[in-house]
Amino acid sequence: MIKQKELNTYRYITSCSYEAINTVGVLACLLLNISLYFLVYCQNIEENLTLDCRNLRIMKLNRVYGRFLSCGVLFFSCLFFMPADSFAADIGNCLLCHKYPGLSRIGENGKFRLFYVNENVFMNSVHAKVKCEGCHTDIKKIPHDPAEKVDCLRECHITEPSSEQKFSHKEVAAFLSKSVHAKLDEKQNPKKYAEDMPNCLDCHDNPLYRPLSFFKRVRPGISEMALGRCRVCHKEDEFIFRFYNHVTTRLHTIRSPKNIAEMCGRCHDDPKVVTRHNLSTKAVYSYGETFHGKAANYLDERIPDCLDCHVNRGQSVHQMLSHKDPLSITYETNKAEICTNMECHPKATPKLANYKVHMEFDPEQSPREYYFKIFFITLTGATLLPLMGIMFLDLFRRLFPNVSVRITRRKQEDESI
Amino acid sequence: MIKVKKGKKYFFRSTVNQRIQHIILASCVIVLVLTGMPLKFHDASWAHYLYALFGGIKVAPIVHKTAGCILMLLFGYHLIYLASNIYIGQIAPLRKNKELSVARLLKLLATQPLMPNRKDVKDMIQLFKYLLFLTDRKPEGDEFTWKNKFDYWAPFWGIPVLGISGLIMWNKEFATKFLPGEIINYALIAHSDEALLAALFLFIWHWYNVHFKTSVFPMGTVFITGYISEKLMVEDHYEHYVKIMKKAGLEHEILPPHDPYGREPANEKAFPAELHTASAGQNFQTMNPKKGDRRND
Repeated sequence: MIKQKELNTYRYITSCSYEAINTVGVLACLLLNISLYFLVYCQNIEENLTLDCRNLRIMKLNRVYGRFLSCGVLFFSCLFFMPADSFAADIGNCLLCHKYPGLSRIGENGKFRLFYVNENVFMNSVHAKVKCEGCHTDIKKIPHDPAEKVDCLRECHITEPSSEQKFSHKEVAAFLSKSVHAKLDEKQNPKKYAEDMPNCLDCHDNPLYRPLSFFKRVRPGISEMALGRCRVCHKEDEFIFRFYNHVTTRLHTIRSPKNIAEMCGRCHDDPKVVTRHNLSTKAVYSYGETFHGKAANYLDERIPDCLDCHVNRGQSVHQMLSHKDPLSITYETNKAEICTNMECHPKATPKLANYKVHMEFDPEQSPREYYFKIFFITLTGATLLPLMGIMFLDLFRRLFPNVSVRITRRKQEDESI
Repeated sequence: MIKVKKGKKYFFRSTVNQRIQHIILASCVIVLVLTGMPLKFHDASWAHYLYALFGGIKVAPIVHKTAGCILMLLFGYHLIYLASNIYIGQIAPLRKNKELSVARLLKLLATQPLMPNRKDVKDMIQLFKYLLFLTDRKPEGDEFTWKNKFDYWAPFWGIPVLGISGLIMWNKEFATKFLPGEIINYALIAHSDEALLAALFLFIWHWYNVHFKTSVFPMGTVFITGYISEKLMVEDHYEHYVKIMKKAGLEHEILPPHDPYGREPANEKAFPAELHTASAGQNFQTMNPKKGDRRND
């Protein structure tokens, strides 16, 4: 046990020093890369704007300079940057190169791409146990050719413990194809604007294990007491840590309500998408105007987000259905179940669900509420504007107390004397 | 009705009970605005800091509801206070003499001091004349001017609107047993818009009139002491002032109406305190030479 502790301390100190060096390195690298990027950007502009022969030489020069610089970046990275601590098994030895923060290049389309893999971050993510080759199946040798985009539906080299079969996200795709977000309609014809429908990566990155810090305050995500209970049977700390996180992360959504709303809003608040698909509301905007949305904005963890209402209870979030689908929980006759859920408003009657969550200040979408609000706006204006006018006139009058068209005061004083 | 302190006259304005009611009202409203506005303007940069000051999303709603409850209790108390005062002071004697009739009762209620009446319209017209430089005479207000009445009736309408809509949103499960679910949308609109109106009204208009206008700045003290200075009395409630002075038998000490030329008779700098205890005639005399000079120009 003591040995383990010492080892932990040693790891901590070394990782700290590495991180300090890395930070400086990353900054220097960033500067270099920005200058490189700028150069290439200028070159692209020149290519786009002028096809004049005079510029050809400059272009060539720039290209040579760019190549020189990128070589330089790689050189400096190798020279200065110590690798981050590597404890995890990296069977393919990919980190031999990818551990360098400066590993980057300008892609064919002129976009800057970073190939650095921060091992610390990766090892805390949900895919920590998946080997690089598990997803990047097209890479067979090192150094490798430009890799293909990862297909999330590949069978990765992980065995699912309950069924002992190779793990895959294929079932997610099956759910997704039945949902409102499917690219094909029921007759397997492509939907209109199918390209707007989300792919895996539109919603998911490689998420980190999310700490349960809002009720376990010991250390974000880790309750030492719980870990102690794990250690009774399980010997390997690395396994305990990962398994603990695997379970606790799934006890709640992996993102905060605010984060989820922002994720959905990337498409559902986009005015172009909203008009193209004839949606009645900018969904996240109107959600943000309700108490739920405001509380989510104030980082309340227990407030319902998009998924809590739009996903049928106990089903995959990928099987989200349209509110026009009778199977959906958001369907007119089903939606009472959303609010009267045990965890939310158990005492509520079905009428509560008639509350318009996605009400917008719009005469077409919700006319009665619109005119009700107009009434209050008018009331506010009609009360405050005249009063402020009087206030302004009063201040102005006090500036010139002696000015007046009719002077009754002097007359009166004349009489009184 | 008149208190003399250090040679200056102060006129009665409100009882201790009323002042306590006002302080509770004021502090509740300020707390409600501070805990409510960050929710209305949740996207503003200041909102997060202000909300955190009241404990964030977990605590601030509780503070808001508590202050709201106190305010509603106060409103209930005020209604009882008002009704019992009118009954004991005015209706009960009528009943004793068996003079009570519906017409009499309605007339009595319509002539309560805080009821809007024809004089308010006249005062308002006079005020506009004065503000637009058409005349140099300020309206000679009664005990409660139209501004005071506005300040009274605005919360009188606002508290029920805000209270009921707030209660609906708070007890949404109970409210939607009887009402359709859309009522929460209406309640939210009414609550947040009426609150903004009330806050702007109070913090701009009301505070300007009682604290920030140049003759009171930096702070009015009537809401603490319950007595108003003679200078302000002359400026805003001249008709009432004359009435009170005559009632107290001080006709000869009555100051002339508010002087827009800035030569206020009750200006302490121009007149040493001793002069106030002397007769009004003398006051007038000391003022006259200046005015005489100007007239001769």
